[in-house]
Amino acid sequence: MQAFEYDSDWTELGVYPVKTENDIVRVRQMARQYAKNFRMGIVEQTRITTAVSELLRNMYQYANGGEVTINQGYVEEHNALIFTFEDQGPGIENLDLAMSDGYTSGGGMGYGLPGAKRLVDSFEIRTETNTGTLIRLMKWK
Amino acid sequence: MEDKLDLKNVKQRINHIEEVLSSVAAGDLDVRVDSTVEDDLTGIEEAINILIEDLTYELKQSINMQNDLQEKLKKIQDQQKTIVQQQEDLMELSSPVSKVWDNILILPVIGTLDSQRTQIMMENLLQKIVDTGCTMAILDITGVPTVDTQVANHLLKTVTSARLLGADCIISGISPAIAQTIVHLGIDLSIIRTKATLQDAMIYAMKQNKKSDALITSNLDEIEEREE
Amino acid sequence: MDHFQEKKIPIIKIGSYLIVSIQVDMHDKLALQLQSQILEEIEKTGAKGVLIDISVLEMVDSFIGRMLSGMASMASIMDAAVVIVGMQPAVAITLVELGLEMPGVDTALNMERGMELLERRMASINDD
Repeated sequence: MQAFEYDSDWTELGVYPVKTENDIVRVRQMARQYAKNFRMGIVEQTRITTAVSELLRNMYQYANGGEVTINQGYVEEHNALIFTFEDQGPGIENLDLAMSDGYTSGGGMGYGLPGAKRLVDSFEIRTETNTGTLIRLMKWK
Repeated sequence: MEDKLDLKNVKQRINHIEEVLSSVAAGDLDVRVDSTVEDDLTGIEEAINILIEDLTYELKQSINMQNDLQEKLKKIQDQQKTIVQQQEDLMELSSPVSKVWDNILILPVIGTLDSQRTQIMMENLLQKIVDTGCTMAILDITGVPTVDTQVANHLLKTVTSARLLGADCIISGISPAIAQTIVHLGIDLSIIRTKATLQDAMIYAMKQNKKSDALITSNLDEIEEREE
Repeated sequence: MDHFQEKKIPIIKIGSYLIVSIQVDMHDKLALQLQSQILEEIEKTGAKGVLIDISVLEMVDSFIGRMLSGMASMASIMDAAVVIVGMQPAVAITLVELGLEMPGVDTALNMERGMELLERRMASINDD
């Protein structure tokens, strides 16, 4: 599985391991703080925090944790907050199905991926069975 | 009369000219051809120096021009920013929410509804609901020329969000043409309370007000009776 | 170490209603714990209504959203009405975009309105 391309001009704001439920709370609070520092409106802050929370939970539940990298940089002339989620979990077998509303492979009612996608400006996903999943979210300012 | 070409030094001098020219080609405009002797080659040497001089001047001009352009570009970008800001301000102005009666807000929507505008409209309305504590909001769409699937979805989203806060929305001002389009497009607005005119919506909202007041009073009466 | 674990969200009983005010960003276990805590309290006190104040919550994701709507269905089976009180506009917009419209869950702008709603519920039940 190929990693996402990084722009050398991007600034890395932080790398956070996600191992426990408390990490989910901690990282999503970090996400809101960064969005706030970025002077995003309150609705935008809430959107990005919620999307991050959804993906953190997926990571925790299905992949036994992983790592989140937060960057800031210019993407297609937008000043963007960039969140990259990386795990070494089982991967997603049927991506099309997982991206459709109302699907879930264990507990809950789905919504995770398609819901998170609706809340951000850019959503990329790469997954490989038994290797892991890479997801990158971007929110323009 | 010019001196004849001094053949002894000619090779050296040509090498020097070559060096100077390649320096200029590399971007160094401070070098000049030094000529100590006056002979047939001197004319060429001087001509080269003048050329370098001209080149330096032209380059300076073009740098100045570039700076000028950059400044102008920055000005234009700033103006663009102001325009965008003004557009946003206008949009906010174009969706005024006002409290018209006890517990009732009205949002008259005029003009075309696009995503961005609905977004601002929705945020304004929800904030106003929280600020005023009104639990009933009338969205009057008399001034909206057409309703397509996207607009209908935006309206639905607004109504659903308001409901999550604890407020009910009524959509009024649905013209026959809009009613026809909505049904033809197969949009389901059944979960939204719709009224033909603003007046109908107003009457409905005021009746709801009375109803809830009456229910609370009757309930309190009952409790009092039971206690007696 | 796990300082979140220590916190228990208080449930206050007033008349025949329970009042719960969520003041912390809950992790999933705490949310589930709160759910069973409220249900137990309904059983113990015979409460007819529960007001859950979420006005401090800056974010409700699908997990907490489902916990809240599940809570309402479960309480209703136990003959108690649940009202979610004080959701922030940004949270409401995000929930709808997430696809969680929470149909069937009663909501109110503030505690007072929530109380009124419960009173109305009681009145209409008494009318039957």
